[in-house]
Amino acid sequence: MIPILGLAVGIVLGLVFDPTVPLWLQPYLPIAVVAALDAVFGGFRARLDGIFDAKVFVISFVSNVVVAALVVFLGDQLGVGAQLSTAVVVVLGIRIFGNAAAIRRHVFRA
Amino acid sequence: MTTVQRGGGPRSLGASLLDQVLAETLDPAYAQAARTREARAAGEEAPPSRRRRGQLAVALVLALAGLLAAVAYDQAAAGAQGREEVRSALVAEVESESATTDGLAADLESLRADVTAARDGALAATAVGQRARERVEDAELAAGALPVSGPGLLVTLADAEPDADEDPVGGTTEADPRGQVRDGDLQLVVNALWASGAEAVSINGQRLGPTTAIRFAGDAVLVDFRPVTNPYLVSAIGDPATLRSRFLASPEVNALAVISETYGLRFEFAQEDELSLPAGSPPELRSAVPVSEVPPGPAPEPAPGG
Repeated sequence: MIPILGLAVGIVLGLVFDPTVPLWLQPYLPIAVVAALDAVFGGFRARLDGIFDAKVFVISFVSNVVVAALVVFLGDQLGVGAQLSTAVVVVLGIRIFGNAAAIRRHVFRA
Repeated sequence: MTTVQRGGGPRSLGASLLDQVLAETLDPAYAQAARTREARAAGEEAPPSRRRRGQLAVALVLALAGLLAAVAYDQAAAGAQGREEVRSALVAEVESESATTDGLAADLESLRADVTAARDGALAATAVGQRARERVEDAELAAGALPVSGPGLLVTLADAEPDADEDPVGGTTEADPRGQVRDGDLQLVVNALWASGAEAVSINGQRLGPTTAIRFAGDAVLVDFRPVTNPYLVSAIGDPATLRSRFLASPEVNALAVISETYGLRFEFAQEDELSLPAGSPPELRSAVPVSEVPPGPAPEPAPGG
């Protein structure tokens, strides 16, 4: 219950306070959000599987976000930023789909 | 992770990479952590304080995720809104500027009428003036500076209709450039009309004078540097029967008819009993001679100071 509350509080905070993101960080924000989504879906699925672990979740979330942003940043420096962000989105997207399917199997038994 | 080998040969690196991505959607660290927990004394549960801390950390991270998502959403929405604002501001500016242009054109028109009236009034006083006025009127008629009306030929040229069997989903919204009327087509029609004996020609209400250019800029046809749009109505004043027969006989028109047949352009013409063409913009006044016909001599030089 508390985690769901945390998610809601975060969304409300972001919408209400509308913090300004520094310009150099803006291109990496969408990628970071996709990475965060992947970690959250993974955590939810692990919880349904009964193997959820708070430490693993926190570490996977932080590392996911940081690594995704870092990969795209590196790609930008090397001139392949657009391609690398596509790669990151494809891989994370496949994982999100897979986890969503597993969650669906748990919830609907189908 | 072992992959099932199909066909005996080793699988390529790309395929095994894809297999791994598709099969391993859950972070293996979860399973590992679960195994470690189980390996620890089975009966020993984690102390409540630790569980509480873990829950708090998860809530915090989820709050961070929510914040991230909300901020990213805000950014995207603000970008779209900003673009829309800039666009509508530009559209408003374009509209106000073209209103200004229209107003100035109307001013010019009325001032020109004033000038003409004043000139006619001044010339009407003397016989020499009368003759001069007639000459001016002939010249103005030839230059397309007076509105005219009468019977003539109305030629219609229009872009090809978009194909019905064109793919509306994957296809581009750009029209096929071969199905569009170009400046050359209009030039051809206008030249054929002049050659057929037209006395005055206009395109979409833009009167053509002797120096009027028909050009192509981007995707728009410009007549006298003002854009005209599809469909293009070319009105020509002259004896309709003569115009029609000579227009039809000209080889350029026949070539254009074949082209429009091939690419689906609309190319029609009709005899009209009553066409009225507006006045064109007269060319700039570049030279003028005083009535006395004596070219002005050099101004007397001031005496050198002594």
